[in-house]
Amino acid sequence: MKHAVVSLTVNGAERQMLVAPGTTLLDALRENQGLTGTRRGCEQGACGSCTVLLDGRTVMSCMVPVETIDEARVDTIEGLTPPQGLHPIQEAFLEGFATQCGFCTSGMIMATAGLLAKNPDPTREDAVRAISGNVCRCTGYEAIIDAVLDAARRVSAAGSARAA
Amino acid sequence: MLQTVIVPGSLALAQEALARHPGAALMAGGTVVMPVLNYGTDSFDTLVSLRKAGLSGIFISDGKASIGAATSLSELQERSELAFLAHAINTIASPTIRNMATVGGNLFVEQPYGDLAVCLIALGATAAVADGGAARFEPVETLVRHGVAKGEIVTKISFTLPAPGTFKFTKATRRAFNSAAIVTVAAVIGLEDGKVAECRIALGGVGRHPVRAKSVEEKLLGQTFDRAGVMAAAEVAGDDIEPFDDAYASAWYRRRVTPVHIRRALVGE
Repeated sequence: MKHAVVSLTVNGAERQMLVAPGTTLLDALRENQGLTGTRRGCEQGACGSCTVLLDGRTVMSCMVPVETIDEARVDTIEGLTPPQGLHPIQEAFLEGFATQCGFCTSGMIMATAGLLAKNPDPTREDAVRAISGNVCRCTGYEAIIDAVLDAARRVSAAGSARAA
Repeated sequence: MLQTVIVPGSLALAQEALARHPGAALMAGGTVVMPVLNYGTDSFDTLVSLRKAGLSGIFISDGKASIGAATSLSELQERSELAFLAHAINTIASPTIRNMATVGGNLFVEQPYGDLAVCLIALGATAAVADGGAARFEPVETLVRHGVAKGEIVTKISFTLPAPGTFKFTKATRRAFNSAAIVTVAAVIGLEDGKVAECRIALGGVGRHPVRAKSVEEKLLGQTFDRAGVMAAAEVAGDDIEPFDDAYASAWYRRRVTPVHIRRALVGE
């Protein structure tokens, strides 16, 4: 069993890691990089709790063998979070009570980040569709959908404030 | 237990890897292979990934589309010349899965998944298959039934763009989003003087593989295209399908509603 050296840009920083064959991106992030904000759920692609951005698009990190994405850019919930305070998407989830046990939250937030990067002004249907691969067993989803829409408003307001 | 992951940088290297490791699992987007691997399997110890083999990309010219097998469903959905397919692709899984899942991989997923394959059959698409020598070409319709031999790799899918308004699609599901098919209907219906001159109807969710509704097609060809005619033709769909029971629907229900969804796809409610 030959280990491989994989280089990734994780949350903007170049990282090298030595991985066993078949190590998933999820394991590389959690075990190798200590980035445990990305959750291990079903490992079957059914729950979405391990959602991260790979080269700007959402993927389920449990289904990506890390050796296949050498040199890629990966963004996780830790990278989304600013050094001080919270990202507007996180604020929207917090203030909208869109989290109960919190296990799905980082996946939900990364799915929201993926949506807003492509579609800054989503409809409610767009929001539902964007999180349709992410399972939450607590909230009943309505608060999360509201938070995604609130996050869109907050992110575009923050964008206009920066532009001004 | 997995011992080796190979990420070939070209098709030739991928074929070489498969020749060297005959028991290897071939992986494109990983949405089918990785759950098997994560669950634990002894059925393969080598994984060959097509991610960097240069098999993705969409080429459109002279009314023909050629799509690399490793192109993701999201890339396909975003292509403006293929907007007629966007709604159908939107019914497949979630956006996150579509960022991973590939056009080629979709041909090999079990029913009641594989809705893109249903669309491709309706479009009369052809798959290019590399088998070590020269590429061979096979209709998607037969490929989904027989699969490919060990060592073969589907490299691209080609089809002629349908005339505007001729592509029809509907998918009956339990939930509005991210749900497998009860029945999927995709069709290309070309009319001349109000009569059906061209007709390919493909069905998903109603057999072990996506199938053509040939009995329905025969009844429609040459006929006036109207609601009554379509309803009468759709009634014989039962001859073309072998539905199964699963958690989404019973075989009985699938058989019962297939004509209804053919009608909805072709002429609306």
